[in-house]
Amino acid sequence: MTLDTSLGTNPTTGSDRASGSTTAGSGASDAPRPAGRRPAKRIADWRKRAEIAVLAGPAVIVFVTFVILPVGMAAYYGFFKWQGYGPPTDFVGLQNYVIIFQDQAFRSVLMHNGFIVVLSLVLQGPIAIVLALLLNQKMHGRGLIRVLVFVPYVISEVIVGTGWSLLLQSNGAVNDMLQGIGLGGLRADWLSNPDIAIWTLLLIISWKYIGFAVILFLAGLQSIPEELFEAAAIDGAGYWQIQRRITLPLLGPTIRIWAFLSIIGSLQLFDLVYIIWGQYIASTAGTSTMATYMVGNGRNSGNYGFGSAVAVVMFIISLAVALIYQRFVLRRDTAGAITEGKK
Amino acid sequence: MTRKNRFAAAIAIAAGTALLATGCSSGGAADDGNGKVTMTFWHNSTTGPGKAYWDDTVKAFEAKNPNVTIKIQAIQNEDLDGKLQTALNSGDGPDVFLQRGGGKLNAMINAGQLLDIKDSISADAKKSISAGTFSGYDAKDGTYAMPVAVLPEGVWYSKDLFEKAGIDGTPTTMDELNDDISKLKDSGVDPVAVGAKDAWPAAHWYYNFALRACSEKTLTGAADSLKFDNACWTKAGKDLESFVDTKPFNQGFLTTAAQQGAGSSAGLLANHKAAMELMGAWDPGVISSLTPDAKPLPDLGWFPFPAVSGGKGDAKSMMGGVDGYSCTAKAPKKACTDFLNFIVQKDNQEGYYKAFQAIPVNQDAQSVVSESYLKTALAAYKDAPFVSQYLDTLYGQNVGNALNTSVVDVLADKGTAKDIVTTTNQAAAKG
Repeated sequence: MTLDTSLGTNPTTGSDRASGSTTAGSGASDAPRPAGRRPAKRIADWRKRAEIAVLAGPAVIVFVTFVILPVGMAAYYGFFKWQGYGPPTDFVGLQNYVIIFQDQAFRSVLMHNGFIVVLSLVLQGPIAIVLALLLNQKMHGRGLIRVLVFVPYVISEVIVGTGWSLLLQSNGAVNDMLQGIGLGGLRADWLSNPDIAIWTLLLIISWKYIGFAVILFLAGLQSIPEELFEAAAIDGAGYWQIQRRITLPLLGPTIRIWAFLSIIGSLQLFDLVYIIWGQYIASTAGTSTMATYMVGNGRNSGNYGFGSAVAVVMFIISLAVALIYQRFVLRRDTAGAITEGKK
Repeated sequence: MTRKNRFAAAIAIAAGTALLATGCSSGGAADDGNGKVTMTFWHNSTTGPGKAYWDDTVKAFEAKNPNVTIKIQAIQNEDLDGKLQTALNSGDGPDVFLQRGGGKLNAMINAGQLLDIKDSISADAKKSISAGTFSGYDAKDGTYAMPVAVLPEGVWYSKDLFEKAGIDGTPTTMDELNDDISKLKDSGVDPVAVGAKDAWPAAHWYYNFALRACSEKTLTGAADSLKFDNACWTKAGKDLESFVDTKPFNQGFLTTAAQQGAGSSAGLLANHKAAMELMGAWDPGVISSLTPDAKPLPDLGWFPFPAVSGGKGDAKSMMGGVDGYSCTAKAPKKACTDFLNFIVQKDNQEGYYKAFQAIPVNQDAQSVVSESYLKTALAAYKDAPFVSQYLDTLYGQNVGNALNTSVVDVLADKGTAKDIVTTTNQAAAKG
């Protein structure tokens, strides 16, 4: 059987390593094969391996050095009380983790992260879908509007954070504008009032990332075959019926992927908070996230051991969410990729 | 298209490799064998005359010591400590750097990161700088930094705004301060600016209440025990709470920075938007860089933190820091200590005073101090029975950081006096 396949497919699978090894072990039957084929094949094999090594090598090295190794190091440091000077020596077992889960401040960062995860989805999803549907219509200025919706996503977080924090100062442009148009009663300490700061953060996040969702959904919409809409129209379906029965279901995979990216982004949120509220007051303003907690109680406090433990907790939470989501929500979307197209 | 991408990728990889390579080769002292020495120097004056002062001083030192090259890196004040610790950990730290003292100094000494400069301090420096100023840097029979400026803390205020509000003189008790605050409110300015975004400026209010509430023994003792069980810590918090209840601070103080831009607390004072702020004696320099014409504020005044009734602390005691510079253990000893001795010479100290408007440690140079506010501050400093290090420095990075943020919580009405004590006690467990 193996011999048959190897002989039969030899001309077309000259680079197939498996066939090479089976022929080598199959004894007398491959004696009549022309000499000189195997060395050439071996060279080709070598080439292929070298090519893989050369091309993948740098990426693998970088990945292991800067992703895998730090994760391992963080797990190791997380078991120590360590100020960061010299090698860690004060082994404390799981004590750092006990402190994390007993810390009221950590519980509130979990709440903040959860709040942002849920409300980002609830707020951005529908608006982005509506915008995408709208921008999928033929109309004047469509290109311009698409660009404008997408612009905030392209601007770097630092610029967005700095810009909004200037605009939203107590004496900033937003309050001045509200005053100017006669809505002075709505003036507020957008950033420094702990009751509304997280809503401000949510709005800024939505403003920034909604363009990304719209672009994804637009791409998803483009891939829905025109015939379906025509058929539905012929069958007498109205515009909204078509959107509800055809567009949304077929947009499902895109929406689920977007939701996945949004959730992971919300869990790891750091830069906007850090830029707007700085190193110290995010927890006071009620906008602290797991990442700012890690920096505040790790790096800023010089507790590198404790900070590493927080990093591990954050990693596990993100990983767990990602795996659960992949398992239960993304399964049918990724089914083809993982099971090699078996139906 | 693909070829273009490959080309771009190749460039990106090349650039990345180059970055890595330079990243690895930078930093650290180098002695190339010819007696030529290169040192890196980190300070926190990123703008204005302060930056110019260090540039000039280093140039003057290099001219006198042709074998020594000093690379200057000015690092934004709030970023300095974190970067410094990361750099020291990785063995990539500077040779000379701004030393905050206190618990941070101790952590560095314990880790063997600092050079003992005791036997290298010049006779000139010993003569002109009081032993008391050095004492904060003494540990384990060694001396680990050279002081350059004394920075007593007090309230910096605008004389014009006080006058406009109808205030005579300066407050000496909390009741008087509260009266003045309501007068200032009536006159339409923010009474007190505080840069709570940076946490420490807010925490300084608590430090001073603690200084009035707690005895010297309690304050310094806590540096070793890191226990904050004495009732005076809660009293200080309660004093702070009742002060916060009078709503003395500028609007949106929680997101106000201390030193950056016209919207910062120093900027508010510099632009007559707020009448006063509590700050160390580096403030005049910061304020003058933020006035509309970038010149010193003409009506700037200073008064010591008011007396608070019912405490164990002396009403004349002060919070105050000493700014100094340390050499790291890996620094070339001769060149580095030469540089430290050089910066405390009389003429350089006078230059320091002019650049930073701060009180120099060299007593011969102190005579050139001419501003009335600095003279008042200097006199109060010399008169103080006890000068305490700023508590976040005294208690180290870990506890200090927790203390600072818990005080901000009280200011924002998210925490109580009791929380300050609990949070601070808890923080000790994390470190």
